[in-house]
Amino acid sequence: MGFFFHVGKYFELMLKVFTKPEKGIMYYRQTVREIEALGLNSVGIVFIISVFMGAVITLQTAYNTENPFLPSYLIGLGCRDSMILEFSSTMVALILAGKVGSNIASELGTMRVTEQIDALEIMGVNSASYLILPKIIACILIFPLLTLFSMIVGVAGGWLAVLFTHVITPTDFVYGIQYAFIPFYITYSVIKMVVFAFLITSISSYHGYYSYGGALEVGISSTRAVVHSSVFILLFNVILTQLILS
Amino acid sequence: MIEVVHVSKYFDNEPVLKDISVTFERGKTNLVIGQSGSGKTVLLKCIVGLLDVDEGDIIYDEVIFNKLNFGDKKSIRKEIGMLFQGGALFDSLTVEENIIYPMDMFTSMTTEEKIERANFCLKRVNMVNSNHLYPAELSGGMKKRVAIARAIALNPKYLFCDEPNSGLDPKTSIVIDNLIRELTEEFNMTTIVNTHDMNSVMEIGSKVVFIANGMKCWEGTNLEILHSDNQVLNDFIFANSLARHVKNTMKN
Ligand SMILES: Nc1ncnc2c1ncn2[C@@H]1O[C@H](COP(=O)(O)OP(=O)(O)O)[C@@H](O)[C@H]1O
Ligand SMILES: [Mg+2]
Repeated sequence: MGFFFHVGKYFELMLKVFTKPEKGIMYYRQTVREIEALGLNSVGIVFIISVFMGAVITLQTAYNTENPFLPSYLIGLGCRDSMILEFSSTMVALILAGKVGSNIASELGTMRVTEQIDALEIMGVNSASYLILPKIIACILIFPLLTLFSMIVGVAGGWLAVLFTHVITPTDFVYGIQYAFIPFYITYSVIKMVVFAFLITSISSYHGYYSYGGALEVGISSTRAVVHSSVFILLFNVILTQLILS
Repeated sequence: MIEVVHVSKYFDNEPVLKDISVTFERGKTNLVIGQSGSGKTVLLKCIVGLLDVDEGDIIYDEVIFNKLNFGDKKSIRKEIGMLFQGGALFDSLTVEENIIYPMDMFTSMTTEEKIERANFCLKRVNMVNSNHLYPAELSGGMKKRVAIARAIALNPKYLFCDEPNSGLDPKTSIVIDNLIRELTEEFNMTTIVNTHDMNSVMEIGSKVVFIANGMKCWEGTNLEILHSDNQVLNDFIFANSLARHVKNTMKN
């Protein structure tokens, strides 16, 4: 009962969000603001995580495949495909759910409990659409770019690891990351990220928008936003992988 | 003029407003008083449509507001200015941007006109030179004043204030009260103010509606309050011993 109640309320909110904006320029301005707040401010964390994960994946693969019959360039290939297929979309999305999701939920939650959302409604503004739509658009535009960025940085991280530790020769690694390259994997990853971006922003907005009470409840909404976004990311990861790659 | 006609409101089958009928006149500061939890905020939110009434009607100058569809409601809402209990200024915007916001959203004024109007409103509430401060940098009383400036930015016909004095010292409260009354007369608005502050009642209460337990118990002027023999009202108004003493002295 609780679950269906929330699903219903969520779709009701989305109907309110996806209505025609009353004043386009205000939405545009808000979207630019969100691109900076939610997207560009996440570049740093995506960079750090990707570079280290790329390095670790490379080292792990190298130390666990000390089999003379396996050509060492496969380590480069392993790093590349792990990054492209899963890490740069799913893992990055999980991290962004933590950062961006909690940010969205606490911002909207605070606006709700301090009556700023009521103030918008009184003015005659469709508060759901004005506050949430720009966030969804900003994230759908920027997150896929973060995915591409993460792929490049991750593979570079792997290459740096090779350079410093000499587990294989850098030439083998570079050969590996070009070997049997399937460009469609990138498309697959980007499609996933677009869906994840929508899930993170809409679910977190839902929890923030319907907060009530005070600071404590805003904290609870923020936690729920992260947990629910993460669960749905994992669920849709399975569904999309089956749909796209099967 | 705003008419509330036999309005009832329930939360989970618990009545919070019970069959309230009252008329708020234009150009007057109408006070709604009552104990904390008596239903003042709920009544105000029903009047502005943030909550739906379960029974009865809310009538704005002959228009039955609660029966309108979303679009028509919006055209009345553009005539409404509201002052929330905590001010409800937008945290991410400066004072000036807060006041300009409704103009941005609903008018096609040029930037100069908007800034000029913002400055006019700020001057009217005595907050000149605060244009570029953020809400976090303002004191409670200043926030209220900026919120009033934002509420009157679009020249509203109706002004609603939910506990404009909560959290303010008595002197600042009187300043805010008088500001609301002056603006009401100056712009000929229909103003409704929720309060539990007796200073406000005495200062600006030319029309007072007393609510207890979600029911309208009494209505009249501040002068009539002093002579009323409504027991519930007297218990509320003359809650402290000084006030009771004054009342008894006046009687004798
Ligand atoms: N959203 C809500 N859900 C359930 N009960 C509510 C809600 N809002 C207010 N109430 C109840 O309605 C009553 C009146 O509240 P309110 O109008 O806020 O009082 P006040 O006169 O102090 O402004 C209170 O008992 C409160 O618990
Ligand atoms: Mg209240």
